[in-house]
Amino acid sequence: MRSKAQHPLVLLALVALVGAACTGGGASTSSSSSSGGSHEPVTITVWDYYGTATPFSDEVIQAFEDQYPWITVDHQAVGYEASHDKFTIAVSGGAPPDLATIDMTWIPTFASNGLFANVSDLSGGQINGKPIDQTYSQGALDAMTFDGNIVTAMFDFDVYALYYRADQFKAKGIDVPKTWDEMKAAATKLAEDTNGDGKCDKFCFEVYGNDCFHWCQFLFQSGGSILNSDGTAAAFNDQAGLSAMEYYKSFLDDGSGMYWGTDQGDPMAGIKDERLGMFQDGPYWMGLMKDGAPEQKGDWAVATAPYSQEPGSYLGGTGLSIPVNAEHPQEAWLFAQYMLQLPQQLLLYQLAGAAPATAEALQSPQLTKPDPYFGGEAPFPVFQEALATATHFPYVKEWDSMDTDIGNMVEGVMLGKSTPQEALQQGAEEVNAEVQG
Amino acid sequence: MTAAATGIERARQGPPLLQLSGRRRQRRFRQYLPAYLLIAPAILATLVFQYIPIAFSGYWSFTEFNGLISPKWVGLANYTALLSDPKFVKSFFNTVLFVVMGMGIGPPLGLASAFLLNNTVRFRAFFRAAYFLPVMTSLVVVATIWKILLNDAGIINQILRFFALPAHAWLSDTTTALPAVTVTSIWQGFGFETVVFLAALQAISRDYYDAAAVDGANWWQRLRYVTLPALRPTIMFIYIIGIIGSFQVFDQVYVMTLGGPINSTRTIVFDLYDRFRTLQLGEASAVAYVLLAILATLSYVQIRVFERR
Amino acid sequence: MSEPAPTLTSRSADLAERSLARKRQRPTRRLSRLVVYALLIVTSILMLGPFYWMLATSFKPAADVFASPPKLIPNPWTLENYRFVFHNLPFTRYFFNSVVVTGSIVGLNVVFGTAAAYAFAKLRFPGRNALFFLLLVTLMVPFQVNLIPLFRMMVILHDVNSHLGVDSYSALILPGMIQVFGIFLMRQFLQSIPDEVLESARVDGASEFRILRSIVFPVAAPGMATLAIFTFLGAWNDFLWPLIVISDDAHKTLPLGLASLQARNTINWGNTMAGTALTAAPLILVFIVLQRRFIEGLAAGAVKG
Repeated sequence: MRSKAQHPLVLLALVALVGAACTGGGASTSSSSSSGGSHEPVTITVWDYYGTATPFSDEVIQAFEDQYPWITVDHQAVGYEASHDKFTIAVSGGAPPDLATIDMTWIPTFASNGLFANVSDLSGGQINGKPIDQTYSQGALDAMTFDGNIVTAMFDFDVYALYYRADQFKAKGIDVPKTWDEMKAAATKLAEDTNGDGKCDKFCFEVYGNDCFHWCQFLFQSGGSILNSDGTAAAFNDQAGLSAMEYYKSFLDDGSGMYWGTDQGDPMAGIKDERLGMFQDGPYWMGLMKDGAPEQKGDWAVATAPYSQEPGSYLGGTGLSIPVNAEHPQEAWLFAQYMLQLPQQLLLYQLAGAAPATAEALQSPQLTKPDPYFGGEAPFPVFQEALATATHFPYVKEWDSMDTDIGNMVEGVMLGKSTPQEALQQGAEEVNAEVQG
Repeated sequence: MTAAATGIERARQGPPLLQLSGRRRQRRFRQYLPAYLLIAPAILATLVFQYIPIAFSGYWSFTEFNGLISPKWVGLANYTALLSDPKFVKSFFNTVLFVVMGMGIGPPLGLASAFLLNNTVRFRAFFRAAYFLPVMTSLVVVATIWKILLNDAGIINQILRFFALPAHAWLSDTTTALPAVTVTSIWQGFGFETVVFLAALQAISRDYYDAAAVDGANWWQRLRYVTLPALRPTIMFIYIIGIIGSFQVFDQVYVMTLGGPINSTRTIVFDLYDRFRTLQLGEASAVAYVLLAILATLSYVQIRVFERR
Repeated sequence: MSEPAPTLTSRSADLAERSLARKRQRPTRRLSRLVVYALLIVTSILMLGPFYWMLATSFKPAADVFASPPKLIPNPWTLENYRFVFHNLPFTRYFFNSVVVTGSIVGLNVVFGTAAAYAFAKLRFPGRNALFFLLLVTLMVPFQVNLIPLFRMMVILHDVNSHLGVDSYSALILPGMIQVFGIFLMRQFLQSIPDEVLESARVDGASEFRILRSIVFPVAAPGMATLAIFTFLGAWNDFLWPLIVISDDAHKTLPLGLASLQARNTINWGNTMAGTALTAAPLILVFIVLQRRFIEGLAAGAVKG
């Protein structure tokens, strides 16, 4: 990614961009700092939780600073775990960054506490000269909106698909499953019990026990939802929820699944030593596997997650957000738009192994190339397809606690502490208490 | 005591301040000035960096406050909500359990180790250092190391499997998570008690033991009538500091389990922190003050108990 | 507690009795000695084992971290984890920051803490007990409570002067410049200094400050070593507060810097252990050097209470 600014086309684009930014700046109201007109030197603070494999590389930042010479980017790496707490405390305490990477699942809590600047206003409805609703799919736009305002610009997206050991499928004569029943049959055939204890030891299906990310998609796939349509009560304790819970548990009961709790740590270990042969997770695992288990190149493939009623997955990812009290929101928005341009979006996949969220990137041929790690198939389109039917978590103030309650509920069933019926009932009561209380 | 000594003693104590007249009071104040100057930095720093924050939290505990909008006064609502909040109640019980387990095992272990060390001559310094090394290490480091040891594929389970003992998902199981965290804490902390008890043991005069030997006491009686009474102030110190510290357990939980699974390792301070990070500043401050009340009461009770006997 | 007069048996009879008793106990004594040493060795392995494991893991390639059967000695061993840490972090900068911050905090605590402890231990002045109680109460307040108000204070400080407050050394040093536990410990220790010595110095006309410098500081050296090590420990390892108040690389301390290595959804145990080893190493070194002084001081402070 070495575009040099001497190219005349870039100069033209620069002028256009600055022009767009200036009009954008003029349209927005409350920005105390320098708007598009004056160019006093400004330093923006950008928080990035991608860790060492970050798309905010030095070259990327340098290129931005070359395009906008009056802006200096103070890029600060903040660990993912710490990011959440730091953001809330810094913004509420009055020392906010100008731009930060935000996990989409944090949006309910942050937005309901008013931590975000209003991107609808700030952007004047445009990203890089195009209307926002042409930059993103409808699902993504929904996920970016809270209470009618756009609060973040989606940067990478996360939806779940099925990762499976294609080589084992071939060796054992298993077809790629499309329905729940087929997936069950596939898991049974795939799993191996090497020590005769009735439980799977090799090539198991990963039953990730304690969060809504992994279980809720089964809920969606059986036609259920977390809350009812006005968001006033839990809806997951209905028949759809029960069937999802029983289905998930059945992998553990019939010995084709392996429970993966928090202390198991990194599932990568399980992939590497072949304890896991099938799991459902997001696009960034493609990058993780190439790094962590390079010797399994060619053994894996990705398929749409099988469903019982309708395809479904959670929709998450990373958004770029500007705090409501940021010092330089205009410049921060310029940087955000820059990162949403195609070259930087493609870098997401290249450097961070994450899936870019803008429609333009999704259509790029770079991402639909066959991937030798995944048996010469192109895994990306699978995730894209899932994106179309993915739902984001309920955007209510109490989502954080609800998330924990649901996670505990699932964990309780998987650990055998309660029956699916009881757990769902109790989970619903707890969630209702949060949402109504 | 000689007359001169008593005179100096009484002069040092000084007459009660209230009985002095104006000029004498000035002189007295100048006499006390050095003392005030010496404690000034400590008092000032404590006032600014501890009491001001404490005061703010106190105020916030009576409000609904998320950090951005102005605090809204709600009186005792946060406190009453806590009493009926299952998360807080669970945190309270977990913490009590942790303290009971930790302080019930740690100091006796420390005392036993001190006895062991007291009875050795060679390499005592080495063993003492070995016991104390975990104390010197930060809880975050200790917790990280233990997290990898307790991992399902970690070495503890591997050793257990080797001996055909049941391996366990220690940190994933609600019944074993809290004990696992407690064991980590005990491992880290009992070296402190060992060292303190060892020094105390070594300070007990031999003459006591000789007197007991002459009186024909066996080892149990020696323990009960000589050693333990002599250790009383040390035991009191260990328990008061230990209980105050244990009640505030946080780092291990933050690193190892984040309060899980299913809140089985959620402690009071973790609950407090969790509320802060979700911007429930009012409730979080209320938790802090409840903890303060508990600790103040406990310390008072302990001091009374020790003093009466 | 005052000592009773020794018993009345004569010295030689005493010695004879003791040697006789020793002879009678010799076989059992040797056995019990063996047991004692065995227990000590086992416990030492339990105490030191996890540290060894941390070190060993830091030299293992990723595949071997959970190898079964476990490899006690990394084979093959690799420097990759350490290389990763050094390559991806401005390690020397973090180390320097930790040294500056911790050094300042230790210095301030030792000087001002000992001074205050001396006053509380040896001087009488109105309000002494009340003020000391005031300090002790703060021990019962967990730091997490003060976190957000302190943060806001630092933000305000930063507005006043951009070299202070958030993202500066002052944010880390100021709140930590006095550790009440340290004062508590030092006070216990200093109480054992005989009053007569101080009194005669006063009679000779020395000011309290002079006494502090010439008499107290030298005598209290083990106690001050204790205070120094405890404070060093707390400041060097502090994670939560620096996490919240420092964001820019120029001021991050070591534990904080290492935490930012963590990627989004995976834990690389090799890297983590390398980072952990690097953070713990300076402390362990300091401990080994100051060990004896420290344990003496600590024990004296706690025992004399």
